[in-house]
Amino acid sequence: MQPMRDESAVLKSRTFLAMGTVVSLTASFPTGGSADPKELDAAVRLIESDFAELEERFSLFREDSEASALARGVIRLAHASPEMRACYAEAVEWRRRTHGAFTAERPDGVLDLSGLVKGRAIAQAGDSLDAFGLRNWCLNAGGDVLVSGTPSPGDPERSWLAGIVDPADRRTLLGAYPLGSGARRALATSGSAERGDHIWGVGGRKSEFVQVSVAGPDIVTADVLATAIVAGGRELLDVAALEWDVDVLAVTRDGKLLATPGFRAPHAA
Amino acid sequence: MRARAAAGAALASAGILAAGWQAGAQAIEASQVTGVTTSGGTNGTASSGSGSSSTSGSGTTGGGSRAASSSALKDGSYTGAIESTRFGNVQVQLVVSGGKITDVKALQLTDAERRSQMISATAAPILRSEVLQAQSGNVDTVSGATVTSDAYLSSLQAALDAAHA
Amino acid sequence: MTTAFRTADRPAQPPSERPAGGLARTLRQRGRRRLLREDFLTILGWASGAAAVALYLADGGAGQFTNVTSGITGLGIIAGLIGTDLVLVMLLLAARIPFIDAAIGHDRAMQVHGKLGKPALYLILAHMVFLLVGYGLADRVNPIAEGISMWNDLPDLWLAFISTALFILVVVTSLVAVRKKFPYEFWYVVHLLTYAAVLTALPHQFSEGQLFAPGQWQRWYWIAFYVLVLLALLRYRIWAPIALTFRHQLSVSRVVAAGDGAVSIELTGVRLEELTGAGGRFFIWRFLAPGLWWHHHPFSLSADPAAGRLRITIRNLGRGSAALMSVRPGTRVALSGPYGLFGHAARTRPGLVLVGSGIGITPLRAILERAEFEPGTATVILRASTPETLYLRDEIAGLCQQRGATMYELVGHRARRGNAWLPRHQTGLRLSDYVPNLAAADVYVCGPKKWTDSVLEDARSTGLVDEQLHHERFDW
Repeated sequence: MQPMRDESAVLKSRTFLAMGTVVSLTASFPTGGSADPKELDAAVRLIESDFAELEERFSLFREDSEASALARGVIRLAHASPEMRACYAEAVEWRRRTHGAFTAERPDGVLDLSGLVKGRAIAQAGDSLDAFGLRNWCLNAGGDVLVSGTPSPGDPERSWLAGIVDPADRRTLLGAYPLGSGARRALATSGSAERGDHIWGVGGRKSEFVQVSVAGPDIVTADVLATAIVAGGRELLDVAALEWDVDVLAVTRDGKLLATPGFRAPHAA
Repeated sequence: MRARAAAGAALASAGILAAGWQAGAQAIEASQVTGVTTSGGTNGTASSGSGSSSTSGSGTTGGGSRAASSSALKDGSYTGAIESTRFGNVQVQLVVSGGKITDVKALQLTDAERRSQMISATAAPILRSEVLQAQSGNVDTVSGATVTSDAYLSSLQAALDAAHA
Repeated sequence: MTTAFRTADRPAQPPSERPAGGLARTLRQRGRRRLLREDFLTILGWASGAAAVALYLADGGAGQFTNVTSGITGLGIIAGLIGTDLVLVMLLLAARIPFIDAAIGHDRAMQVHGKLGKPALYLILAHMVFLLVGYGLADRVNPIAEGISMWNDLPDLWLAFISTALFILVVVTSLVAVRKKFPYEFWYVVHLLTYAAVLTALPHQFSEGQLFAPGQWQRWYWIAFYVLVLLALLRYRIWAPIALTFRHQLSVSRVVAAGDGAVSIELTGVRLEELTGAGGRFFIWRFLAPGLWWHHHPFSLSADPAAGRLRITIRNLGRGSAALMSVRPGTRVALSGPYGLFGHAARTRPGLVLVGSGIGITPLRAILERAEFEPGTATVILRASTPETLYLRDEIAGLCQQRGATMYELVGHRARRGNAWLPRHQTGLRLSDYVPNLAAADVYVCGPKKWTDSVLEDARSTGLVDEQLHHERFDW
């Protein structure tokens, strides 16, 4: 499964800042092509605006965003934009489906849709890339990954290989997971120690997982479930693996792994 | 052997042996004095087996709430109150036709019940060696818990992006 | 959904309106009670040995140790008394008395029974040798001449010599039989000789032993002891099986295939609901058909008894079980039991872990059906080398779903190193990786002996204590 470097294709990456993190877009081009970098730059500008649009509305870090106005009580949800209300409705629906493990409210009561917005932004950017006509690309926003096609157009069977960070040593990888078109286009990873413990366990408990990765057909589901499983623990892991078509890899506090069969290397099965 | 059993056995055995010894000493003395074997001491060890305090009849309260006047039931369906059970909350619906209960349905199985239905083998412990192995050099992208833009610079993803710049 | 509702409506065990979280307390109390019984039995056992000596001392036996000759005779008498006590205790342990079974379980009882065998034999041999030497010294002849004259002159003593010979035969053959795995039936017949040995030893005790002489009150202790043992054997070894067989009138209703080389034998009978809760424990079965009736088989139920229905699931492991695979519907069946501690009564913790391998999975299915636990606190681990030998897998998965238990299927070849109970590709994992809250659980293990030992070792190494561990060897 080790990807052999494909001599007939070359990977090009561009990065930009959005939502407090770095977004990188990598695309695969045949070697010797001339228009590649320009096409990639245009694609980046396109998705940059997707991220900016959502950030403008939903960022709590921006004083002028609608989310900040809601948080300060300047406007009420009933009077918020349809986009805001739709996003809130989706968050409520996710809360129900994850038995309360995923929630859009911080413990201090402030509405925080960022757990959903990043996934939505990535999904929207992915749609834009498809519409733009880019075929083989990999979009990584702060560790959440959505891919399309293959890194080596000469060999369409080849998957994008996503490494998963070892939470105990972030400079090394725990392992890898192949992503491709179809049911496994997205991979999201959540941790319990990032950004000052921004995920709380259900009922204020300390989370039993330090890191959870979820691979699935779309990035919003993967992202939400990864967050929810960190909060909801083993019980929610079982629920998620049963109700959604996803693969899950969870790292416990003492460094042990829990995984659905999809995370097993083929030879180890 | 457990400590309590060992201590108990040692004490009981020692006690019994001491009692036997004592009785024997008297017997020897008596036989020496009179030359007649007197019948031994009355070592009453009668363990009265009266006991058997009647196990207070554990009458199973047959929870059957079969109303006496079943003829009073009108046709239709009746929805009961939510009952808490050991397995979660359950709400029952009775379907009555012809004055008789024809069906009992469990209507509402709350979270606890739902959860109890979700089981099994979906996720299992695995060893690190079972996960597909990879080095940072041969992956195309890196997934991890959200990296802030500050932390990005020192991340594995930054190295990959730099390599493909 | 209906089944789940039914489970919720009628809790498996005595419903008793106990407060939430009361399960842990109930189980703790139950465990404590059982340990109290166990300790009581231990004390009783030792006390009976002490009593044998004490009765001798009470008769003025200590006065015998004034010179070498009578001292040797005294030692011989004591050896005989303790030996007799041990034999009687062994018979009680083998009598399948419910109190003993509930306190220490059939396996432990038989283990202790086995352990007492050799000491009892040595004491009886010592009894003979010391008395021959002691009396020989007194009569100024050699022990062999003394033996010949005793055989000829004293009543009942020739029977005592035969008794000793029988005891030697029984102990030696059962040691050899266990080691060489003679057929169970052979071992069983040899054991019947024990009764002959005890019976042939009786007359000389009462005609020669001064402690047993008429007018001695010690005589009544021994008579009472003998009668107690006799009654216990009659009541529980002979009467109980007959009564149970007639009470339930079992017959085979059908035999269905249950995975690779295994069959489930379903039986019908009457008043079977009285056996509810016996899942996991074993019964001794006799299939009353030509060629089968004289075998008896210890099998556990593979489903908790329901109205009118019992089920066992067995695998063809040669000898007796091969013939059972083709038992005809309608065959009448005699049974006795249930025996053993591999059941609900042994619980001490609120959590439940059931670990089974191969055909050993089947009693776990019966336990799971009615075990008390809150949804989410039970784990079932099934181990097999191939998916076909995950016996009753679908039924167990259904029960897990219904009762809210987590199930793991570990299929694959055995690991050579590490935790040998896990499949090869799982080496390095431990029981505690599968069960997060292992310390608060009872672990039931059923499978081949080596595999079972390996699971138990794993569990003990994480700090579990014996009262949490329940196991049953399941090689048959």
